[in-house]
Amino acid sequence: MIASPNPASALTAAQLQTLDAVLNLIVPPSADGRMPGAAEVGVPAYLYIEAADALPVLGEELDELERRAHARYTRGYASLEQVERIALVEELRAQTPGFMNRLAMETLACYYQHDRVFEGLGMETRPPYPKGYEVVQGDLSLLDPVRARGKIYRDAP
Amino acid sequence: MTDDVDVLIIGAGASGAAFAWSMADTRMRILCLEQGDWMNPGDYPSTRRDWEVRQEREFSPNPNIRGLTQDYPINDADSPISPLNFNGVGGSTILYAAHFPRPHPSDFRVKSLDGVADDWPLDYAALEPYYAVNDREMGVAGLAGDPAYPPHQPPLPPVPLGLAGETMARGFNALGWHWWPSDTAIATRDYEGRAQCVNLGPCKSGCAQGAKASVDVTYWPVARRAGVRLRTRCRVREILVDDRDMATGVVYFDEHGIEQVQRAEVVVLACNGIGTPRLLLNSKSARFPNGLANRSGLVGKNLMIHPWGMVRGAFDAPLDSQRGPLSCCIWSQQFYETDRSRGFVRGYNMQITRGLGPVATARMGLARGDIPWGAGHHEAFARRYGRTIGIGICCEDLPEECNTVTLDPALTDSNGIPAPKITYRLGENTERMLAHGLARGAEVMKAAGAWDVYGEGPVRQTGWHLLGTARMGEDPERAVVNGWGRSHDVKNLFIIDGSVFVTSAGVNPTPTIQAVALYIADAMKQRLANLFD
Ligand SMILES: Cc1cc2nc3c(=O)[nH]c(=O)nc-3n(C[C@H](O)[C@H](O)[C@H](O)COP(=O)(O)OP(=O)(O)OC[C@H]3O[C@@H](n4cnc5c(N)ncnc54)[C@H](O)[C@@H]3O)c2cc1C
Ligand code: SF4
Repeated sequence: MIASPNPASALTAAQLQTLDAVLNLIVPPSADGRMPGAAEVGVPAYLYIEAADALPVLGEELDELERRAHARYTRGYASLEQVERIALVEELRAQTPGFMNRLAMETLACYYQHDRVFEGLGMETRPPYPKGYEVVQGDLSLLDPVRARGKIYRDAP
Repeated sequence: MTDDVDVLIIGAGASGAAFAWSMADTRMRILCLEQGDWMNPGDYPSTRRDWEVRQEREFSPNPNIRGLTQDYPINDADSPISPLNFNGVGGSTILYAAHFPRPHPSDFRVKSLDGVADDWPLDYAALEPYYAVNDREMGVAGLAGDPAYPPHQPPLPPVPLGLAGETMARGFNALGWHWWPSDTAIATRDYEGRAQCVNLGPCKSGCAQGAKASVDVTYWPVARRAGVRLRTRCRVREILVDDRDMATGVVYFDEHGIEQVQRAEVVVLACNGIGTPRLLLNSKSARFPNGLANRSGLVGKNLMIHPWGMVRGAFDAPLDSQRGPLSCCIWSQQFYETDRSRGFVRGYNMQITRGLGPVATARMGLARGDIPWGAGHHEAFARRYGRTIGIGICCEDLPEECNTVTLDPALTDSNGIPAPKITYRLGENTERMLAHGLARGAEVMKAAGAWDVYGEGPVRQTGWHLLGTARMGEDPERAVVNGWGRSHDVKNLFIIDGSVFVTSAGVNPTPTIQAVALYIADAMKQRLANLFD
């Protein structure tokens, strides 16, 4: 698990609220409930520790979403319906190349290292070392035709 | 001033370690200076849950991203490929994948056979005994009988094919193409005090198990027991010469950043294909105004990096492809030897690699648009994770004098020593070879049953193999060192790393780098009485 110091010093409460509303657009919970949504895996804390350099731009992106929400729907982004949230983010991503790309990349890193996600994928919640994994040795009789064709290297003078 | 030594080795990586081990039986006073530190395998990413992120940061193979104090930056703006390395005891073998192919006999006779570049001053037969010694000391796993090679017997059984390897093997068989289990420097059984590989996967960020043959766990412990001294956090700034053109020692910064002088009878460079020319170019003097041992003008020229293509295929069946040594599985040398009907000379190795971890799978999918935001994310991820296989296309690039390592006018390392800049472009022959390799990679993926195939190349973050920048040859006008590694200009200066390669072959270079280092050590031992004549 990733430790979670308070990220509030970098993003405002309003920005964090908008962020919370965006995260499940990146990775929604699965319909069968097996996989959590990205809003449930501690992304803000992860960003604070692992991607602090991304926070200033992210803050501006969240502010822009909030401004558009007010301009179009006269409500804050977090209080929009899901379809409205998606529409706004998609509009901005289409207009501004790279909009929230870094957020998406960091979110995926946080998400796919989280215990609940590992459990959802049916994987053990542990690092690779020391237990390692089993890998089948494989069928070396598949080499018979390669052997039968014989030498393929050139002799050199 | 510190104590004098007989042999001073600079760099504790693949070549420096093998050389030190071989020289130890001379009982001479041998010292190695290394700018990095010893590694603690308990710190490697695979011991942690967040291993995928750690291996992109402090264990990144790109020194410009890693940015540790023992690293030196490399200006790579003028190259489509970024040089990769590691600086510490073990050198780049700390991060290497341990894919361990030998070249073919024809690789040493490129001019005679194919009319390009130059022949080496030595050949496969001369190196064969040293490959064998190196296989034994490193603990190489593989299967004897590969028809792409003269006979040789790896000491350990091959790494498991896994379902991924079997799947690709069937694809190669369907096309009637060569494939074979890769030779790998990974202990597949307990070997010489090292524990057997447990298929962790992330070999390229250090092997916590100690199964991968990085030279800090192979050659160095033995060499040190035999009396070789290794001093870490010592960065050499300059090699000193006297007015008889003999090296007298080096100036280095010790672990406290204090300048020291180390005297030596013989200086041996093992800093790799970029670190070595950098140090020579930084060693300017009245007698060597263009850099030490550079009267040929060839120091830093002819850089070869093996432009790399990557083909990936996604399969329907679960393959557990993310498990097992990431970059070691099977190889194909179907397109290795020259066939002019392909539109290029020389050839490439196909290196079948396993799948990526969950973070890398999701991120690559997002970047390529295969794994979307929102609805459909989980289904798209599930169709690729554990079901993707890669093929690396390792293209031989030919030496060209326009591909260079020079000194950057502004960039320095943490000791203020000028840093290297590389200027590199792909030759036309290589471009055609790469395109051919990407197309053949896609063909075999489809033959193996992939439902989605994509390829790209040259891939930027693949400058693993740094070769050719202080080439060997008998003609002092056309080479920096002679056929046994001695500088033509400075008779007690030797170069033993990949800088001395005349051509690059189409395979990963470390077995050859180490075989050449062992060969040079033996050549020196045989000539001890008249080494400088
Ligand atoms: C991620 C990665 C994967 C790779 N995979 C493979 C593979 O599968 N198969 C393969 O064959 N090869 C592979 N390689 C390449 C392989 O690691 C190198 O070919 C090999 O390590 C080169 O050996 P070397 O002795 O020339 O240099 P290195 O091993 O790079 O060692 C050079 C040493 O010199 C030290 N040094 C440099 N300058 C100074 C100085 N001024 N003062 C003091 N010390 C100095 C450095 O700190 C370093 O420790 C890979 C490399 C990387 C980075
Ligand atoms: S797969 Fe094997 S060699 Fe690679 S890191 Fe794991 S134990 Fe080491």
